[in-house]
Amino acid sequence: MINLRSCTRLANRIVQETRNASTKVQNSEISPIFTNRNPRNLEKLRIAYKPDGYHVDAPGKCYWHKLHLTKSERYVSAYIEHFENGAVVKASTSEWALKKFLYRYNDTSAYINLGRVLAQRCLESGLAEIRCDIKPRNSDGKVALFLKAVQDSGIKLEEATQYKPARPWDQYRQEKPWEVTE
Amino acid sequence: MACTLWNICKNNINGPFNSVWCGSVRCGHHLRGKPPGIAKSLEEKLLEKKKKDPVLSFRVDIGFPIVLSSRSKKLDERLKVLKEQRKNTQLEKLARTKSLLVDLNKVRQEWLTTCASSHIKERADHFGIFEHLYGDAYFHPTVPLNVSYTQGDIEHPVFFGNTIKPKDAQSKPEISYESDSKTLWSLILTNPDGHFTEHNKEYVHWFLGNIPGNKISSGETLIDYLQPFPPKGTGFHRLVFVLYKQNQKIDFTNYKKNGKCLNLSERTFSTYEFYKKFQDDLTPAGLAFFQSDWDSSLKEFYHNILEIKEPVFEYDFPDPYIRKQEWFPLRKPFNLYMDKYRDPKEINKEFLQRKLKNSHPFKTPPPPVPYPNAQNFSGYIPSWLKLEKTKSRLGWGRINDIK
Repeated sequence: MINLRSCTRLANRIVQETRNASTKVQNSEISPIFTNRNPRNLEKLRIAYKPDGYHVDAPGKCYWHKLHLTKSERYVSAYIEHFENGAVVKASTSEWALKKFLYRYNDTSAYINLGRVLAQRCLESGLAEIRCDIKPRNSDGKVALFLKAVQDSGIKLEEATQYKPARPWDQYRQEKPWEVTE
Repeated sequence: MACTLWNICKNNINGPFNSVWCGSVRCGHHLRGKPPGIAKSLEEKLLEKKKKDPVLSFRVDIGFPIVLSSRSKKLDERLKVLKEQRKNTQLEKLARTKSLLVDLNKVRQEWLTTCASSHIKERADHFGIFEHLYGDAYFHPTVPLNVSYTQGDIEHPVFFGNTIKPKDAQSKPEISYESDSKTLWSLILTNPDGHFTEHNKEYVHWFLGNIPGNKISSGETLIDYLQPFPPKGTGFHRLVFVLYKQNQKIDFTNYKKNGKCLNLSERTFSTYEFYKKFQDDLTPAGLAFFQSDWDSSLKEFYHNILEIKEPVFEYDFPDPYIRKQEWFPLRKPFNLYMDKYRDPKEINKEFLQRKLKNSHPFKTPPPPVPYPNAQNFSGYIPSWLKLEKTKSRLGWGRINDIK
């Protein structure tokens, strides 16, 4: 399976140099087109396709990963949705792992602990930037505290925009995100 | 009154003009295709396109089944714990004052024994692990596999897709899992993203076979550990640890590589073919994976250990869409229009030549002018060229390609 979207091409210079040296060393055989099959790679590099939504759609369609919070009568659950793969990271107070240590399953401390556990699971899967459209009604309510717990655990509730390459006639050239060194 | 006036105008006065004018007016709303509600939406159409035939494409579970203990027994135990929880006044106080913070490690341990295997399977699917290692097969990681790198005093545990830099993964990780001492295991670390020549092959970074119980050190080292080496510009590579349980002792001599095995072609590996060969005796049981991208420590690795020049790649973006050339492009500035159909290399060359014409190889370049556009054009210059020059002075447009 060739993933055309993640094809990377060697710079011309490198191709020539490796051709000259190909007889000497065993390892120097490198194909000029390198394919990275990792489906999350382009999202991490900010160049993957990101749906924009149509102009009559309700806002909130433009994301790679999005945070959702659902509450039932007894429990709260939160999950991270990917625009293609659906729910990928889940946490709920109805899980025995959380339920065992909580007093109630939908009170404020349940929300806070749910946020902490979800954030931990996200970081374990390498998701540090997630879109969030949840608008808490009160600034010190359960939902606000949940979001605060998620943020305090090291998750950024905002996703970077998709990098689109500049066309030759564009006014400015955008900085390439993978060339910026911290 | 107005109506009759309109009719008179329409029919009597200036008849031919009116008939032409009335014909060009769009009257009414014409619906193309089926009305909304009955017609399929784009989402439905795309779903239909993506749908696969269940007879031809289905996935096979190759792992151990998830062990389900007796529900009533579990329920009894859990109810007991919950009742005690209810009576615990200290816990209630903490919960009511919003200061109850559960121990995340304990939650994780409990999670690993309950619903972790299905959660991990979902995450691995998200990262395309099973698809690229086993094709149409998958497994539930029933044995929790703990892998952690230690660099100096800092520990870098491997979970399910977290990022670890190559400089932190230079030495072998510590591996632990729970097992019976009589059983035999094998462990493979592969990179399905990093092959230099074949895109559907993997590099095996570590291969241990016939490990008795969880004593990693007494297992056979078939292929020695090699640190991850994602080349610059290729982004994040997945490095996957898979733990297999063996039914019996297996002869892996075909896979044995002596020494450090720095010849990359010898490390070419395909988990699919490997598993196909040994599927009667091997069952995947544990899974952990991380992502790794280029860092500056790799230059030394390529030069001194692999003994090659460091490869550098650049992402190949698709070319911008340019529509077919017309015979008479109306209302389009001729210079901009023609530039679109020229070789961009030629245009860049022109810009570079113009730049080099005014720069001296040995003298320091003159300092940039504070107001670049406040300078006179000498002599007659056509307006389009004036605009081009203004743009170049301001650093707009194609001049950016030669910077």
